[in-house]
Amino acid sequence: MERFKVNFQVNGEPVELDVRPSETLLETLRDRLELTGAKEGCGLGACGSCTVLLDGLPTRSCIVLTAEVDGSEVTTIEGLAEGEKLDPVQESFMEKGAVQCGFCTPGMILTARSLLDRNPRPTREDIIRSISSNVCRCTGYKKIVEAVEAVSSTETPET
Amino acid sequence: MDREYTIIGTRMTRTDSLAKVTGRASFTADLKLPRMLCAKVLRSPHPHAKILNIDTSKALRLPGVRAVVTAADAHGVKWGVFRYTQDHPMIAVDRVRYVGEDVAGVAAVDEETAMEALDLIQVDYEPLPAVFDPEEAMKEGAPLIHEEYPNNVNIHVHIEVGKVDEAFARAHLVREDTFHAPGEAYSTLEPYAVVASYANGYLDLWVPNAGPHVRAKALSNLLKMPLNKVRVRRINVGGHFGSRSEVSPGDLVTSLLAIKSGCPVKLVLTREENATCTRQVHDIKATIKTGVNKDGTITAKEFRVVYDGGAYSSTGPIATSIPYYVYEEAYRFPNVRYDGYRVITNKGIRGMYGCHGRAFLGGNEMQLDMIARELGMDPMEIRIKNGLKVGEETATKSVIISGGLEEPIRLAAAKANWAERRAGLKEGEGIGMGCVAVMCGFPMGFRSGSACYVKLNDDGQATIVTGICDTGMGNESMAIQIASEVLGIPVEDINLVNADTEATNLDPGAYSQAASFVGGNAVKRACEEAKRQILSFAAAKMNHPVEDLDLKDRTVVSKTDPLKKMPMRWIVREAFFQGKPIAATGAYMPKIDFQREWVKNPYGQMAGTYSFGCSVAQVTVDRETGQIRVPYFVAAHDCGNPINTMAVEGQMEGSVLQAGVAVLAEETRWSQGWLLNPDLLEYKVPLACDMPEIEPVIVRSNDPEGPFGAKEGGLTTRMNAYSAVVCAAHNALGVPLNEFPLTPDRVLKALNAAKSGGES
Repeated sequence: MERFKVNFQVNGEPVELDVRPSETLLETLRDRLELTGAKEGCGLGACGSCTVLLDGLPTRSCIVLTAEVDGSEVTTIEGLAEGEKLDPVQESFMEKGAVQCGFCTPGMILTARSLLDRNPRPTREDIIRSISSNVCRCTGYKKIVEAVEAVSSTETPET
Repeated sequence: MDREYTIIGTRMTRTDSLAKVTGRASFTADLKLPRMLCAKVLRSPHPHAKILNIDTSKALRLPGVRAVVTAADAHGVKWGVFRYTQDHPMIAVDRVRYVGEDVAGVAAVDEETAMEALDLIQVDYEPLPAVFDPEEAMKEGAPLIHEEYPNNVNIHVHIEVGKVDEAFARAHLVREDTFHAPGEAYSTLEPYAVVASYANGYLDLWVPNAGPHVRAKALSNLLKMPLNKVRVRRINVGGHFGSRSEVSPGDLVTSLLAIKSGCPVKLVLTREENATCTRQVHDIKATIKTGVNKDGTITAKEFRVVYDGGAYSSTGPIATSIPYYVYEEAYRFPNVRYDGYRVITNKGIRGMYGCHGRAFLGGNEMQLDMIARELGMDPMEIRIKNGLKVGEETATKSVIISGGLEEPIRLAAAKANWAERRAGLKEGEGIGMGCVAVMCGFPMGFRSGSACYVKLNDDGQATIVTGICDTGMGNESMAIQIASEVLGIPVEDINLVNADTEATNLDPGAYSQAASFVGGNAVKRACEEAKRQILSFAAAKMNHPVEDLDLKDRTVVSKTDPLKKMPMRWIVREAFFQGKPIAATGAYMPKIDFQREWVKNPYGQMAGTYSFGCSVAQVTVDRETGQIRVPYFVAAHDCGNPINTMAVEGQMEGSVLQAGVAVLAEETRWSQGWLLNPDLLEYKVPLACDMPEIEPVIVRSNDPEGPFGAKEGGLTTRMNAYSAVVCAAHNALGVPLNEFPLTPDRVLKALNAAKSGGES
């Protein structure tokens, strides 16, 4: 079978792999790199459970081929904390009770992180619009929105 | 009152959340064992057919295939929750009864090989006439799907209390309406998955489940293995909502493959398989007749409810009963007749749902509003008038020991400014109210109770061992929080071993709303016994009366003398010295009438206690397009006393999504036994942008039996949010809405029907 050689970064570490043309980024992350934080919820880009950051932008890794990410930088949920120090979004999700079953949580957190990186003081509407790319079946989204709002108010000082 | 407890009732960060925010929480599909194989299942392409022959020889010859299993490898045991509902072989024997039914399983070295092997299995089918509509299936001459169910009636629940016909004859006003809601998909974000490993005669399983003990028992029956050789392990579960409570065909297929191949095997269903081949939600048609007095008192109720059960029994008798019970647990029915029919059709198997019974519950509440309007009453007033109070019995003889319907109604109404909001509605706006009460635990024989062990470790920390299972709602954290409160040690000092059939004792599981009321009580009792042991050692060691001692901040303290104290770990070590380590057991069995049976004897105490709830929804309706939106929602839920306030709110808010907002869109669509919307593009679940502003209201009735007064944490909202929205839509439109969900086409149809029929 034809293979592609792909070089990219995952959570700051260089990765070099031979991949099948049909191999998705989600398969590579989960099966080959054992980064199982990204989940497969639907397999067709509808639910957002597989969200990772591709060059900083939330991306559905179940519908991206690994062969396409050559030269890119991928951040998964495992790469968000620095050692034991959690990202403020992770902390806020815990404190605000935004986590229930936890299956959507990695994708939600990465989506929120990316929003805050691009727009440090989003309005409530901005947050709702942004996380409406991801399905959560447990929380009703209220505490997720509150968790993101709380980070935005502490991360950026009022100007 | 709020400071009565140290940690109970606080907004505690859930103990499971660190693993979940870092991606380290493992779900079944994340597991990887040495030599693990990949499983795939061959499924029926026919809604109803005879199996004439299965030839697996070509598949077995494919390099990389390690095992193929069919019904010939199973043990001829049929599954059913009850003895009288054992009708499901789990792997089809000589007949398939729905599209997607499990016919054969393959284990291979990788997914591609397993898929290729499925293509090589030759199955000869002889298609049979099929039936998809339950009313059609009940008619004489309809294809019979199981020999043992004449007219395809799987379950008939008949309840009769009082003198129903006489009461209708004397009623001031009688209304009869029929409501229909198609089935829905649970849409748990985690698709079903199983990992099975077999060695030395022992089978280990990891599977998203809501009760490891009942799962292991079912598998031991199906596999004809002793129960102590089947171990269901603790694993994170990506949502449940009723879908994980029962053994699944995938459990059996994967177990057989592991036994046959001698290797661990993993099966992960696709989203489409998950929707087609695991249980989904009943289609329900409810005819509701209500008689009232002039003052709005309900004097008679009569129900005929038809449930489309799909191909097998599943939790049939329970599913055929629950919508009625959560309604009679809320309201006083002096005379009532209920006939629930669960009918077998050639569709996927239908099960229990967190918001099971939408057509019935939404229909009842909308009809109550129609009656209130005819009588000139406020919907709130008629609900309070008929709501059950503490000390009263339900129609089928369950006593209410705490709560009652009035307080949740009043608190929800107060939060929503019911009267002002109602008076100030503009054209196209409506407001509605929905109520239910919910049993905390079903009668499950000796499995209705829970037991917990606790041991104090040599550094003064504790390990609690309980069958309590967490499918996402926070039950693990709840158990730790209860132990922390009793033992006076912080949550980080407590390790939890749970939901593992080898290590833990019986527990009813994370359904039937038993976890906090039953499982939580067992944890509390075990910890109280451990505390008693600690204080008794401490009294001797400190030479101080035991009645004056307590546990606080890892210390044995005097209640009266702040100087008198001793680190708890010293006492624990002293106990080790004396050869009497601190270890305790606690158990709780709810006060249930065990003579009660779902079909044969549906009378007597159903559960230890009941939670009550009221939801209020406001909607806007566009009469041109039929589009409904829900901008505002209040959910009031009587959880007795919240263990973790934030977790209870979370349950209520999630319920608003899964019931309240789902009523605008969610439905499964079918054609000739094929599910047309099995994926998440075609089956749309609510997103953040669809959600209303939600105000959760926690009602405290301080249950006399519940641990720290707690009952269950949010199911009433899941069961009444739907009603609140359909009542609000009815209020906005002024026409009956008999077909759910309230999609634009159905709303326009109802408006047109009213226009041409001149309906009120």
